[in-house]
Amino acid sequence: MIHSLVWVFWLLMVMVFILSTRNPIYLGTLLTSLFILGHHLSHTKKIKNWMLPNLRFLLTMIFLSTVINSLFSHVGQEVVFTVPQQWPLIGGKITLEGLVYGALNGLVIGALYILFNIINLALNVKQITRMIPRAFHPIAMSITIALTFFPSIQKRAQEIKEAQMIRGNPMKKISDWLPIFIPLLVTSLENAFLLAESMTARGFHKQTDLRTPKNLISLILGGFAFFSGWVLQLYRYPRAISLVLYAFGAGLILLTLYIAGKSSQVTRYHQERWKPADMIMAFLIALCLFGFIYLKWAHRLHSLNYSPYPHLICPTIQVMGLFFSLLPLIPILGRQHDKN
Amino acid sequence: MKLNRLLRLGIDLLVVILGMLSLALPFIFSQAGDPNNQAASFPIMISLIILISLLIAIFEAQSSLLDSKIIAFLAVLAAINAGLRFLENAIPGPGGFSPIFFLIILSGYYFGSRIGFLIGVLTLLISAIITGGIGPWLPGQMITAGWVGQSAVLITFLVNKFAWRGKPIEVILLSAFGAFWGMLFGVIMNLWFWPFLGAGMGQTFTHAVGASENFQRYIAYYLATSLFWDISRAVGNILIISLMTKPVLKIFQRFKQRFSFQIQEETG
Repeated sequence: MIHSLVWVFWLLMVMVFILSTRNPIYLGTLLTSLFILGHHLSHTKKIKNWMLPNLRFLLTMIFLSTVINSLFSHVGQEVVFTVPQQWPLIGGKITLEGLVYGALNGLVIGALYILFNIINLALNVKQITRMIPRAFHPIAMSITIALTFFPSIQKRAQEIKEAQMIRGNPMKKISDWLPIFIPLLVTSLENAFLLAESMTARGFHKQTDLRTPKNLISLILGGFAFFSGWVLQLYRYPRAISLVLYAFGAGLILLTLYIAGKSSQVTRYHQERWKPADMIMAFLIALCLFGFIYLKWAHRLHSLNYSPYPHLICPTIQVMGLFFSLLPLIPILGRQHDKN
Repeated sequence: MKLNRLLRLGIDLLVVILGMLSLALPFIFSQAGDPNNQAASFPIMISLIILISLLIAIFEAQSSLLDSKIIAFLAVLAAINAGLRFLENAIPGPGGFSPIFFLIILSGYYFGSRIGFLIGVLTLLISAIITGGIGPWLPGQMITAGWVGQSAVLITFLVNKFAWRGKPIEVILLSAFGAFWGMLFGVIMNLWFWPFLGAGMGQTFTHAVGASENFQRYIAYYLATSLFWDISRAVGNILIISLMTKPVLKIFQRFKQRFSFQIQEETG
């Protein structure tokens, strides 16, 4: 099992690549890699039929994005057909460039969706809740309780529904759901009451209030600094100013949360351990990410940029670009290492 | 005490301002930046800023969760509401109808802005964890659902001021509020990806034109793609709130009394 933090690094790396390119060949290769990885994970987790719904979603996104883009954007030279001008909102020429640009956007959105779908497939609920920072201990507690209660609430809802149907409730109108929802709410809140009592009996009564003026001021300053960095970047101020503001804002927020979290007493069971394979993978991912950022910053990966405007041209390919679009497959190597 | 209240207000303002500014950026800073460079990072930067705002808001709001009773109450309510998301297909509502909003609105209305905010945020988060719906869209959904619950306190203020509690106008006001958010939720959610979907030459959104033209383009896009869907959600909210308000508020009232016991710590 790969460490959850390695998956987070992997997510970051692939996301940076997806958002940095509009080259259809790279996007296609990356999507193929993601599908191979997704198929591999679903196979090992014995989840049937993972590929088809995702493929269907991708194709739907490409189709919708192509249609919407071509109907609203009439820029381009290769006219495919013309919608009568008097048709409101969509009247005008439908161009090949508009269709291609829409399809590219669909590819990017589809790739992002499948990327997060793989993360949801790779990490289980326990790993996700464990990643909630200690500073959010009360919230994490609520989430854990909610996730524990969820199956029993679903089961109870089903039981009440069946009992109502036996009594002749047709379940056709919204009002037919009232006799299900009200008993469900009452019994669930009764359970919450019992849970609160047992939590109190076990000494879980009062938590430390982390909301000190110092913490709140730091968070306000951090949020404001980060946002200011972005606005200055949008207005093309020197990038160094934005970088300083990003680092200051994010650093201040993270530091505040870290210090606040230290005062929460948390016991963690079943800690995830870093295995050698995890460390190698994390190192590889970090190396690739920094390498990619450097090459992009030094304008050595010009083939990442592609636009069908003003003329439709064939995208160019570089070996390094193809290499980066195959990187989503790294976790398969880690899993193979685990098996060996 | 006064400083704490001021800081809480400051946090609320910062979160709303940063969140709304990030989403409304295409209109406010429409002349800024190079479209080709900004297009790719736009939605991720919006998600990042919203995530930061969300973390700050949750950090502040979770101070209402220092009691085991509130933690258990909130968790169960959020679990029920997340379960309602699964019923979206089962409940025979119109197109964009989602049954999750009424509980968020009623919680905010009855228990106050912080509980309303947290119910909204947790509902979306828990259902995303269960269904595998975690993605860059989630912070935006969470904070908007939080705002739905947080702003329901405005109805509490009106109802208390004019002594409308228990009268038919209370249900009418809450239904109208549900309809308003049914529409606004869609408007806000579209903003997350709209600049991304059409960022380019002559596309739906462009940096090259002014804020008012971009706004017109957004209206056109919204009318063509989302209006029907959001009207369905608004109508669904009206139906479900008008039906559920009275029995649910009665249950809330009963449990508020039961949950109000205090534990005296032993000294010495």
